[in-house]
Amino acid sequence: QDWQVRYQQDTPVAPRFDVNAPDLYIPAMAFLTYILLAGLALGTQNRFSPDSLGLLASSALAWLLLEVLSVLLSLYLVTVSTDLTPIDLVAFAGYKYVGMIVGLVAGLLLGRVGYYVALTWCCLSIFVFMIRTLRLKLLSEAAAEGVLVRGAKNQLRMYLTMAIAAAQPLFMYWLTFHLLR
Amino acid sequence: MSSFEQFHIDFYQSNYTIEDQEEGCNSYGSDKNLCESRKRQAEEQPAGGAFVPSDMLLSPQSYSGSILQPACSPDAPSQLGYVDGFDEEPPLLEELGINFEHIWQKTLTVLNPMKPADGSIMNETDLTGPMVFCLALGATLLMAGKVHFGYVYGMSAIGCLAMHALLNLMSVSGVSHGCVASVLGYCLLPMVILSSAAVLFSLQGTPGTVLALFIIGWCSLSASKIFTSALAMEGQQLLIAYPCALLYGLFALLTVF
Repeated sequence: QDWQVRYQQDTPVAPRFDVNAPDLYIPAMAFLTYILLAGLALGTQNRFSPDSLGLLASSALAWLLLEVLSVLLSLYLVTVSTDLTPIDLVAFAGYKYVGMIVGLVAGLLLGRVGYYVALTWCCLSIFVFMIRTLRLKLLSEAAAEGVLVRGAKNQLRMYLTMAIAAAQPLFMYWLTFHLLR
Repeated sequence: MSSFEQFHIDFYQSNYTIEDQEEGCNSYGSDKNLCESRKRQAEEQPAGGAFVPSDMLLSPQSYSGSILQPACSPDAPSQLGYVDGFDEEPPLLEELGINFEHIWQKTLTVLNPMKPADGSIMNETDLTGPMVFCLALGATLLMAGKVHFGYVYGMSAIGCLAMHALLNLMSVSGVSHGCVASVLGYCLLPMVILSSAAVLFSLQGTPGTVLALFIIGWCSLSASKIFTSALAMEGQQLLIAYPCALLYGLFALLTVF
């Protein structure tokens, strides 16, 4: 399956024309659904109040901003030349909310075992997705095609990609486990 | 102040008989200066009706005779043109823009989501129906023991802003805030039904959850149907229905828990 963005242009392209272009609809909806589901999870445990909904929303937004800013900082430090705009990073960071929603639904319906199983599966899938997507954007073309290129610069970029991808499951676990007590 | 109001009424009704005017004049014969100072106070009052008499009184050529005799001058009808007398005023509801027939039609459109709607009913942004539905939702929540008026208003305001942004991004033609607020408010009616059911029995449990999900689906189907027909976005009804479902899900969370 071809994961590359088909339109290699300077201007961003709308999702109507390119299936692989990042768009903010899924991340935004996933973020809002996550807040709603978190409120539902709290409600089934009689811990709900409308204030807590606002608290959840603002804390989730703060974690999102923190993650995007730290990724931007690390990209700047590694001096990698990429065409990733901050909005792209927001979109990529938002895709993990889909996994969180699946985990929460499984946890609400099936209990803690279901939660852990679903969360593990979603963590693995988002790990793979991030590695594939970021590899195309951050690493050089030779490495993107699977050839292992030795060199300090490429290794650093590989570590960076792994770190960003590994941060996603961490965030997924951190933001959901306190909801299913 | 009652004497001053009497003076106002005499001033507006320029077709009063002469006897009434003279009566009013005679009672004020001694209070000429007092009336003048009162009129200056009336200038600072925000009442719109006070401005016209003060203007007329301060311009000397607009009446002959003393200050207490509101004479019929030629330019009085042009300055008082918006009040022709009680018979020729438009009816109050028409002035306010409340059209009960349209409100009823829109409510019927919401209540029957399976029937296709025409896109022209949303051309006038009418906010009285949504206001009534929001108040009804707050009232039924109050009857269930939850004082959440502020949360209802806040969530509807934020939801209107978010839906407005989303619809402007997703549709070819733009929408205005009033149109979005009007549609979202009308589709809040099934939520009122849900919260009145919450008064009768507790919604925490399987039948309550099923009912809440059904009502959320009803609300969001109606809202997306009206939006897609008004904005000519065919094929995107489900895409619009999902954010509407999220918004009404927030209201359902307030109602159920």
